[in-house]
Amino acid sequence: MKKIIFLSSILGLSFALSSQNIEGQEYLLTNKTNTYGISVLSLIDPYLSPLVYSGNGFQFEHESRRLLSLANTNLSIQSKINIEAAYLLNPAQTSSMTYMAFDYGFGMHYHFRPMKGLLLMAGGSADVGLGYKEVIRNINNPGNVDLATNLNLSGIALYDIQLPKRTLRLQLAVETPIIGWMYVPLQGASYYEMFGLGNLSNISHVSSLINRRGINPKLTLDFPFKHSVWQIGIKYQTLRYSANDMVFNRNELSLLLGTTFDMAGFGGWKRIAPPNFISPNK
Amino acid sequence: MKKYILIVLVSIIILPSCMNEAVMEPNTHEGNFQALWKIIDTRYCYLDYKKINWDSIHTVYENQLPSATGQIAFFDLMGKMLDELKDGHVNLYSDFDLSRYWKWFLDYPSNFSSDLIYTTRYLGQSYRIAGGMNYGKINNGKIGYIYYGSFSDAFSDGNIASILNSFSSCHALIIDVRNNGGGSLDYSKQLASYFFKKTTVTGYIRHKTGDGHSDFSNPIKIVTPGHPTIQWQRPVAILTNRMSFSATNDFVNRMTNAPNAIIVGDKTGGGGGLPLSSELPNGWLVRFSSSPMFNLAMGNTEFGIDPTIFVALTAADQANGIDTIIERAITALK
Repeated sequence: MKKIIFLSSILGLSFALSSQNIEGQEYLLTNKTNTYGISVLSLIDPYLSPLVYSGNGFQFEHESRRLLSLANTNLSIQSKINIEAAYLLNPAQTSSMTYMAFDYGFGMHYHFRPMKGLLLMAGGSADVGLGYKEVIRNINNPGNVDLATNLNLSGIALYDIQLPKRTLRLQLAVETPIIGWMYVPLQGASYYEMFGLGNLSNISHVSSLINRRGINPKLTLDFPFKHSVWQIGIKYQTLRYSANDMVFNRNELSLLLGTTFDMAGFGGWKRIAPPNFISPNK
Repeated sequence: MKKYILIVLVSIIILPSCMNEAVMEPNTHEGNFQALWKIIDTRYCYLDYKKINWDSIHTVYENQLPSATGQIAFFDLMGKMLDELKDGHVNLYSDFDLSRYWKWFLDYPSNFSSDLIYTTRYLGQSYRIAGGMNYGKINNGKIGYIYYGSFSDAFSDGNIASILNSFSSCHALIIDVRNNGGGSLDYSKQLASYFFKKTTVTGYIRHKTGDGHSDFSNPIKIVTPGHPTIQWQRPVAILTNRMSFSATNDFVNRMTNAPNAIIVGDKTGGGGGLPLSSELPNGWLVRFSSSPMFNLAMGNTEFGIDPTIFVALTAADQANGIDTIIERAITALK
């Protein structure tokens, strides 16, 4: 891991140095952030149990952000991948739940720069999430799948804090689903009936603020440390959705730690690397 | 633009009240009793069919709560309340016990003795085992015999192909599912598929759609496919007793529609309701029938399926090492 961080930092640094040699040339950098987190979470899945399950989880998040083009430095695109696993118990600790989730999101933001050091981004994103919950002791309803895709409102605020020797970056990102689609099983029906016998009626639902609502503020601080820029943060996620006479709920608080760095990419017809950028493949 | 942003923000704040989770009862004897009673009241599928007055049962057992001090006494009382449903698919699971209703077979003759089927007259000691099935030829090699004791035991097409190939010289087959208490409905469907030439509707299933005792979905067809490559097209007899329950009941229901099949023995034990589970505030698990299954005529299979030929195992035959039900099946298959 240290090697990867070191090499990434060197690459970013070498780009910064090299760019000074290419007068008049501008290149777009891609900001990449990888964070690992530990979480405390609680969830209710009435298909599996009426009880609140709570426990701890582990997550990895990769976020990538770059300006759309050199011609327009007010628009950026963002992609995110989140992978999570958690182990939860019912209140009496007589039953456990295993939870796994994968989420991919893609968004676009418009940039505002109201004052020096402050960058505001507002826009939207689309995401698709797939999760699986399993309560192994249940009978004929031991598992349930979360599957949904959403269009979200998204906002990000970045503020650079100038210290005498370094610059810290404070970032607050918030996202909330507005409209989308979700799968919800039929209450009282087994997966055998739904997928074995093909009773798929009423498992597909349009979601909106009426039946699916959530918000996930994330506050992070970037700070240079030795050859890297590290990021620590805290993230809260709350999601509630309802269909087929069931209300599902998930609340999660995560502590995050990772690194963030800027990278340049070359490829295709238009992004030929300048000769002073030496590819390891040549 | 500001107006729309304001509407969205206000919606985010106000709309949570439109989606409230069900209120969970407190983890007390009273709270757990109410939670259990309500789960059955809203999700158990046979209250009307069995003409059970669940409100009255609430009164009777709530009055007994004060005398049920301690976990075990409380568990026993809740188990007794569930016994009122007379359903083998209803259980209460705690760390220290499992409540159960077994009168669906204890109140009837067993009509099965494993000692008999392993005598030299039938399987003997040199039978083969594949996919949870004990099999061999009986009646001087004229009839193939399979004993399948649990639909939880996995088998493959390869297992069945091997078994049926070994019976290629037999003119008929017996599948004995007595004392088979059930298991997987997938195995039930798969085993039945070897006896159907084409995909056939063999029953229906519904599920609870609301809190009312008669709130059910429309019937969904249960089909039994004909296996594409492995088929037994000669006569087959299915042997049943009261302990043929749940997935075995489903298998027998499918086989009543198979072209060359007869059912021989006692009425099956039933268990026609597909069970689901839920939890009480104290962490106990409750299993209950949730989705009633029906035969082709939309008749409920909860109380069992009548055989084509009723036969009981007689004490005299048993004393002479004869299984009356197997013998009657051999006669019927001639």
